[in-house]
Amino acid sequence: MNFDLTDEQTMICDSAERLIRELGALERRRERIARGEGFDRDLWSQSAELGWLALCVPEDAGGLGGSITDIALLMIELGRGMASDPLISSAILCSTLLAGSDWEGRADWIEQIMSGNGRLAFANLEPGDRAEWPAPRATTLKAEGNGFVLNGAKLLVQDGEGADGYIVTASIPGEQSQALLFVPADAEGLIQDHYRLIDGSRAADLRFDHAPISGGQVIGRGDGVAALLEDAIARASVATLASAIGSMEACLDICSDYLKTRQQFGQPIGKFQALQHMMTDMLVTTHNARSNLYHLLSRMDGDRDERAAALASARLAIGQAGLSVGRTGVQLHGGYGVTDEYAISHHYRYLMALEKRFGDSQAYGAMLADQLFGPIAA
Amino acid sequence: MDLAFGAEDQQFREEIRQFLTDNLPADIQQRQRDTRTLASNTHDLQRWMQILDARGWSVPHWETAYGGTDWSPLKKFIFEEELHQADAPEFHWQSTHMIGPIIYMFGSDAQKARYLPSIRRGDYLWCQGFSEPGAGSDLVSLKTMAIREGDHFRVNGQKIWTSAAFESEWGFFLVKTDMNVKPQRGISFLLIDMETPGITVRRIGQINGEAELCEVFLDDVMVPAENLVGEAGMGWTYAKALLDHERTVSSFIHFNKRELRRAKEIAQAETAGGRRLIDDPQTRARLVALDAQVTALEWSVLRVLADEPNRYGGTAAASTLKITGSRLQQAITELQADLLGPRALRYYDPVDWNEPASPLWPHHVAGRTSAALISRASTIYGGSEQVQKNILGKIAFGL
Ligand SMILES: Cc1cc2nc3c(=O)[nH]c(=O)nc-3n(C[C@H](O)[C@H](O)[C@H](O)COP(=O)(O)OP(=O)(O)OC[C@H]3O[C@@H](n4cnc5c(N)ncnc54)[C@H](O)[C@@H]3O)c2cc1C
Repeated sequence: MNFDLTDEQTMICDSAERLIRELGALERRRERIARGEGFDRDLWSQSAELGWLALCVPEDAGGLGGSITDIALLMIELGRGMASDPLISSAILCSTLLAGSDWEGRADWIEQIMSGNGRLAFANLEPGDRAEWPAPRATTLKAEGNGFVLNGAKLLVQDGEGADGYIVTASIPGEQSQALLFVPADAEGLIQDHYRLIDGSRAADLRFDHAPISGGQVIGRGDGVAALLEDAIARASVATLASAIGSMEACLDICSDYLKTRQQFGQPIGKFQALQHMMTDMLVTTHNARSNLYHLLSRMDGDRDERAAALASARLAIGQAGLSVGRTGVQLHGGYGVTDEYAISHHYRYLMALEKRFGDSQAYGAMLADQLFGPIAA
Repeated sequence: MDLAFGAEDQQFREEIRQFLTDNLPADIQQRQRDTRTLASNTHDLQRWMQILDARGWSVPHWETAYGGTDWSPLKKFIFEEELHQADAPEFHWQSTHMIGPIIYMFGSDAQKARYLPSIRRGDYLWCQGFSEPGAGSDLVSLKTMAIREGDHFRVNGQKIWTSAAFESEWGFFLVKTDMNVKPQRGISFLLIDMETPGITVRRIGQINGEAELCEVFLDDVMVPAENLVGEAGMGWTYAKALLDHERTVSSFIHFNKRELRRAKEIAQAETAGGRRLIDDPQTRARLVALDAQVTALEWSVLRVLADEPNRYGGTAAASTLKITGSRLQQAITELQADLLGPRALRYYDPVDWNEPASPLWPHHVAGRTSAALISRASTIYGGSEQVQKNILGKIAFGL
């Protein structure tokens, strides 16, 4: 076992840190959100130029084939600047789905994604879903004429606004497994609704009303799809959790600085033991959260059940850890903590959002209990 | 000990209920029920205050000589509880619970005659200008200066976190009038018309997208000397008296009860994996744990109201209410958001909100996360949790 970074990993982290320093200013973020933009376009094009989008794509699909650990380390750095979107949705999630398929559009779209010229979003979540894990879908694909029609609704498609297309999950009547479909943003029978999320990113609801789908739009169906979905969601979850670690670590810097500079009662508030203890609790929580992430990373390439259990465990622990660090960080700032004008409230909202991406810690807690103790007896 | 409500109290409760049935306008009730912010609609509040005032109930907690009631503390509690249960607009705290009592306790006859009737009727809002950028928990170090020039004070300085200053006609301010004495003795209490030249109000964007909080800049603001409350140099003492005046309000007991009820309703309406959330073991565990804590808070409030003898003193008991009540506000609103699952992430725009027509977004979703976010403030304002604990350690145990 060895926790040292390789030279290449150090390089990735350094360049990510530099970029966040350049583009991660709070004012820039606030202005962008006020303009109604869900992510930073300059950061996105830089991510492409620096090869980060390609890093997330396996070598045999034309990418740089970074390891999941490489990706996690990159995401930790980006998480410090709350800049993980839409890397997770497009370059990690959708390109993993594409790379694992034998769809004819695969190479073309992967190239688009890696170059930063095109962007896809993952449309899976349906009402009643608490965690995104392969399950029968209410969105259905039915044969009609030479092709199919798609009916149903998806919500909270992360970074869905402005995406060039969607990878949509659907059930086919009579088939056990779900199908994966490619639907371009301007498809017939697709109605979109866009909105902002609490962390300033943007999402879409998609409604498919008898949307015609050709055979050429079916990315995958049948037995392999569930495993492919699990792989992609697991990788995207690692990236989400790593972003949360980065954000929590940024909170430690922000808050410890604040405790040293904010004066009350004629001294820096960091002199008060009550606050020292809160600050050190944040450290303990953050430190342990990174350990949860490492555990998950160690299980990513092994047995699928073990990976699922490690994923559920990390989601539960890191999700709650992020909320706790965010809340405490706000409290340490007093009134300034509940304004939009200080970074800490942005981190808190970002951590809240990450806690619920692909399912919340409560849902993953229930999954973990099932894994460890078996399902609840009827 | 007799731990039951008496027959008279029950009868009183019936009377209040009947009054609400007969007098609370349905449209106001509906808007308050649907409200997504923690503040009341100002227009509705004014209408409601006039209705209450006509019945003599708009400020029941005031001394009777000034329009209050002779109700026992328990009856006042029942009154407030019933108003909350019926979704009546919330009182505007700074007006009815802060400056009103200050004026009748310490103000001049002219001030009483001028301001009290309009506060009872809810004619306009008052804001509280105490905190400053450098004087939050350490309030006594405030720097805003008021220098006497003839029959005026010339006021210069800056306030911050002045809730609702942008929509208030009047403000009550703590200002420094004497630099040569102990800080506690050099502070005075001034009433300032918010239209006075030299006042600039800037709204502060909040974590939940609202902007109720304000900065107030005072630049050579000339305030008539008659607007001084009581004696110069006594402002700190008056402000302290204010904090002692209403010892149970910081429990937010009625808010907590109502929001817990709302959480149960959401758990009944929401499903996960085809099962109602109210039937989910984890959800049930969270709900019942909060339910038991709210029950405890309610009885702790009743004990303070009854002035129960307490070996740590009444102030210590009251302080536990603030600590418990603020934490519960956070836990309950956060549970409401959690019950929505990923849908909790949609941003609720308080200014520009179009209710989604889609069945994907039932009515109960909007505003819940916004409430959870701004509830982080409940352990910050009115004495932060840490400062509360410092004081409690001192008064309860002499630490
Ligand atoms: C929503 C909201 C509404 C408000 N409305 C008003 C209003 O209408 N009018 C008004 O005048 N003010 C208002 N306030 C201001 C409020 O009273 C102050 O925010 C509060 O007093 C804390 O001051 P601060 O924000 O400067 O934080 P600070 O005092 O800077 O506190 C920062 C941190 O230090 C901690 N701390 C400070 N001193 C100590 C100590 N001795 N020991 C241990 N820990 C300590 C605090 O607990 C906090 O965690 C409002 C605040 C909020 C958030």
